[in-house]
Amino acid sequence: MSKKNIVLKSSNGIIFEVEEAVALQSETIPYMIEDDCANDTIPLANVTGDILALVIEYCKKHVVVADGDGGGSSSSSQEDLKNWDAQFMNDLDQSKIFNLLLAADFLNIKTLFDLTCQFVADTMIKGKSVEEVRRTLNIEKDYTSEEEAKARQENEWAFK
Amino acid sequence: MGKEQSFGPPSLMTSLPEDIIVDILARVSRCNYPTLSLVSKHFRSLVASPEIYARRSLLGCTEHYLYFVLYDRDNGYHRWYILNWKANSNSRFVLIPSLPHIPYDGSFVAVGSRIYVFGGTNKHNMTTSALTIDCRSHTVQPLPSMPVPLYYATADIINGRIYVVGNRNYYHREKTMVVFNTETQTWEEPAIIEPDIELDYMDYGCVVMADKLYTRDVHNSFVYDPKKNKWETDEMLDRKVWNNACVVDDILYYFDCDEKSLREYDPKQRCWGVVKGVEELWAKTRLAWWSKTVSYGGRLALFCNFKEEERKQEICCAEISLERRQGGETWGQVEFCGHVLTGNFILAKKPLALML
Repeated sequence: MSKKNIVLKSSNGIIFEVEEAVALQSETIPYMIEDDCANDTIPLANVTGDILALVIEYCKKHVVVADGDGGGSSSSSQEDLKNWDAQFMNDLDQSKIFNLLLAADFLNIKTLFDLTCQFVADTMIKGKSVEEVRRTLNIEKDYTSEEEAKARQENEWAFK
Repeated sequence: MGKEQSFGPPSLMTSLPEDIIVDILARVSRCNYPTLSLVSKHFRSLVASPEIYARRSLLGCTEHYLYFVLYDRDNGYHRWYILNWKANSNSRFVLIPSLPHIPYDGSFVAVGSRIYVFGGTNKHNMTTSALTIDCRSHTVQPLPSMPVPLYYATADIINGRIYVVGNRNYYHREKTMVVFNTETQTWEEPAIIEPDIELDYMDYGCVVMADKLYTRDVHNSFVYDPKKNKWETDEMLDRKVWNNACVVDDILYYFDCDEKSLREYDPKQRCWGVVKGVEELWAKTRLAWWSKTVSYGGRLALFCNFKEEERKQEICCAEISLERRQGGETWGQVEFCGHVLTGNFILAKKPLALML
């Protein structure tokens, strides 16, 4: 049986041809195939080529290959996948991470969405001081000194 | 590891859709929320929102927190404290200043992320006041008043209903029970139930095992089964003067201060036993003159008080994980043991475990 391929087009016009099983990890793409059956190319207006390349890299790694018995088996062991995920995320800069997060949300790829959200939570927020969080996430302080003092007083219990 | 580089305005994080920001913040431990609420007003409103707690629950990110009422003997106030677990044995009780003083001798029950508070003594009068504390935001909401004031009341929850048992009169041995439905937030009818039992002063607390309420006085234990609306005695349970007990997986545990052992009672087998493997604790609790236990997340936390000097107490905490072995023996493992508070305090009521 020949494998069916799906053609995806990024917002900046870059074409990717992938196996159906890889593309179908997105829960959004099947709807697009139905809606757009006359055309073989699925346009993804919200995802740029560099981000789509990352999404496809992730999906290829996580594709579940159907074996001869008709059951499913993971293409890699769980532990290997976890290590691969960690390395994959660590190699990205902040802009790519947030755009990948938005793409995972738009394409509805649950595991990639969870991975990126957890990575942001663990590396940019968890255990950091107020100043560190502001600096890391580039958030401007919008409190006046008075307001900040009041907020600090309310949360005093946590700073002891 | 950390991505600390900044990419110039606008912030990528804050330009995300609101529900994605909530999804990210829900994955961070709640002990980071006070810090996050100081980052910006936007973050502050997010970490206090019902949405973030709903998301934490959906994602399985909820955590257990222990809340306590401590009586401050220097100023005579009962106040709420939270136990801040920290690494390196730096765990300690911290006052929650935004929560009000509470009446002496009220009954408290933890239900999910809320504490229900019933009655208590206000300036020598029993009150019928009832309220709930939302521990996500540390705010208080009033509830319908109790049908009657109850002295020396004790309370616990079974299938969404809180059973409050106490005395109508200061000196009476006859008990009265009122039942609060947490789903409808109303008192059940008939408003006042008078069980055919007599109990003395019930300072021993109560527990729930297999949907039955267990309580006791100095002589007898009583078991209440709401399904049958029936009170019974349990002679086997009476063999030990259990007090300030907690329940993990339908087994009752309490710390026997006199004999220095962690005792267990299995209501199905109707037998008493002693938890093994925690002997290291007894040297440390040698001078303990009271103890309280609480179950949270399948573990047991034991709190002991030492009378150091007249106006200075020391409270220690041990966190114990429990393993039921074949043959019915329970083995404990001390995960943490350390000092959590020094001061002129008394741990007034049983600790409460909240899911946040």
